[in-house]
Amino acid sequence: MPIVSAFLVPGSPLPMLKPDNPPWRELVAAYDEAGELLAASAPDVIAIYSTQWMAVLDELWQTRAHVVGEHVDENWHEYGVMPFDMHIDTALTAACIERTNEFGIRSRGVDYDQFPVDSGTITATHFLNPGGRLPLVIAANNLYHDGAVTEQLAATVRQQADALGRRVALVGVGGLSGTIFRDDIDPNEDHLASPADDEENRRMLDLIAAGDAAAVRAALPAYARDAKADMGFKHMSWLLGGLGDGYESAQILGYGPAWGAGSAVVAFTP
Amino acid sequence: MSKGEILAGYLAPHPPHLVYGENPPQNEPRSEGGWEQLRWAYERARKTLDDLKPDVLLVHSPHWITQVGHHFLGVPHLSGKSVDPIFPNLFRYQFELDVDVELAEACCEEAKGEGLVAKMMRNPKFRVDYGTITTLHMMRPQWDIPVVGISANNSPYYLQMEEGLEEMDRLGKATRRAIEGTGRRAVLLASNTLCHYHFSAEPDIPEDMSREHPQNYEGYKWDMRIIEMLRRGETDEVFRVLPRFIEESFAEIKSGAFTWMFAAMGYPRMPGELHGYGTVIGTGNAVMEWNLANHSGPIEVRDRPAPA
Repeated sequence: MPIVSAFLVPGSPLPMLKPDNPPWRELVAAYDEAGELLAASAPDVIAIYSTQWMAVLDELWQTRAHVVGEHVDENWHEYGVMPFDMHIDTALTAACIERTNEFGIRSRGVDYDQFPVDSGTITATHFLNPGGRLPLVIAANNLYHDGAVTEQLAATVRQQADALGRRVALVGVGGLSGTIFRDDIDPNEDHLASPADDEENRRMLDLIAAGDAAAVRAALPAYARDAKADMGFKHMSWLLGGLGDGYESAQILGYGPAWGAGSAVVAFTP
Repeated sequence: MSKGEILAGYLAPHPPHLVYGENPPQNEPRSEGGWEQLRWAYERARKTLDDLKPDVLLVHSPHWITQVGHHFLGVPHLSGKSVDPIFPNLFRYQFELDVDVELAEACCEEAKGEGLVAKMMRNPKFRVDYGTITTLHMMRPQWDIPVVGISANNSPYYLQMEEGLEEMDRLGKATRRAIEGTGRRAVLLASNTLCHYHFSAEPDIPEDMSREHPQNYEGYKWDMRIIEMLRRGETDEVFRVLPRFIEESFAEIKSGAFTWMFAAMGYPRMPGELHGYGTVIGTGNAVMEWNLANHSGPIEVRDRPAPA
C-alpha cells in the first residue's frame, strides 16, 4: 500500500496568518500534531488536493521543480504575507498526467514562474511540510469534476506511486460547513456560523472517525448540500479515492471555526 | 474643487486571450494573433477613452473575489507579474500601475455609508488579479492613468442573486458620490463577459480562429438580445430581464460589475455604442460604451429598474 498516511486539513489561511488568535489555536495545535504524524509515517512524497486551486479547462498539476515565492490572500491581505518554498516530485506527477486520459480526463502540467499558488496549499504545506523537506504532488480542483472523478484522480496517484515505489502522504485541503460571517467580526469571538452547521459537521466527523469509508461516501452528497460544504467536500473524495477500499481508523485532531466556517484536522490510518 | 463626474462607462471584458493575441512587450507568451474582431473593438474604445482624458479609471473585476466585504486597492504603486491561473500558457504579464488612493478611500467610506462592508487593501505585496490587468491593458495599454481597483464580493453567488446585485447597486451609488466629492473626471470599466458557457478544451494552437465560435446557441441569442436592448437605450428592459439572462446564459455579469457601473451612471436610458462582439473559447464578449460626457441634454440619475 503506497499510502502511508492521510489527512483532511482546513484551507483557510487564518490559522497560518494569526496562529495566536484563541479560537484558531485548536486548529493550529491540531495542524502541528498532523505534521508530526505525517513525518512519523515516513513518506517519500505528499500528494495534495486543495479546493482553492481552481481549474476550468483540463486537470492541472504543478510540474515546476521548485516553487518558491510569497502570496497575499485575496481576502485576508490585512494579515500579512504567506511565504512558500515547495519542491515537486516531477516524475510521479508526470506519471499521473500521463494516466488520467485513460478515464477521459485530460491533464496538463503547470510549469511557470510566479504561477499563483493558492492559500490552501500554502497553509497545508506550512504546517505539514515545514522547510519544504518532502517533495509534493499538487493537483487542482477542476470546478467541473464531481466527487467520482476526484476519487479517480487520487486513485491514479496511488497507482502511479505504487508503480514508482513511492510512499505517499495524502492530503485533502478544504473546509467543512461553508457559511461564513460576511461582516467584520472580532476574531477573538469567532465561532461556527450556526448550531445547525456545527451539528452537521460533528455528525460527519463522527462518521469519518467510525472508519466506515462506504458510509462516509454515501453520506457525503447530503452533507455537502446541507452544510454548504466547501466545494462539495471534494477534498474528502480525494482522500477516499486515494485510500482505496477504505481505511483502518481516523482521529479528529482538531475542530473549530474559520470566520464562521467549519474546519477540522483529521488524521487517517490507511 | 469642482464637482466630479463620470465621463463614461465601458463594458470591458477580460479574456486574457486578447492580450495574448496582441503580443504586447509586457506579456511573455507569443501568439500569431487571433480574436481580431474583439481586439479591433478595443482599438475603437481606446480612441474614445483617449478623447475623454479622464483623471482616473475605476475597474470592478470578477477575478478579485472577496468573501468579507467590498475591497479597494489602496497602495499608491503596485507592480509584479500576473500569471493567469486558468490560462498560464497565455497570460504572464509584467504589470505596473498607479492607484488613486484618495478616490479609493472615498469610495470605501461612501460604501460603508451605504451599509456595506468595505475595506482598503494596503498590502504592498498584493498581486493584482488578471481580470483587472487585462481590462486595463485592453483599454489603456500606456498605463498612464491612475486606477481604482474594486473587488467582486461574492454576494451574488453566496446569497440570493438579487441580494447580491442589490449590494452592487449600492456600491455603484457610493462610487458615484465618491467621484463627485473628490472632483474626479472618471471612467468606469465593468470587466464582465456576457454568456459564459465555454469549451472545456483548448485547441493545440489557442489562436486558431477556425475553432472559435459561440459555445451555446441559446446563450448567443441572449447576448444579441441584450446588446440590441443596450444599443437602443432600453435600460429598464435590460434590468428587468437581467436575472433570466444571467441564469439562462450563465452570464458573468452576475458577479456585479455591470450593475455597479450602471448604478454609478444612474441607469441612463441612453443608447450604448457597441464597439464589437466576439467569442473567446466560446464565451460571449461585447465591448460597449456609454459616453455620458458627449450626451446631449441632461441625464436623469435613476434608481435601479426592478427585475421581473
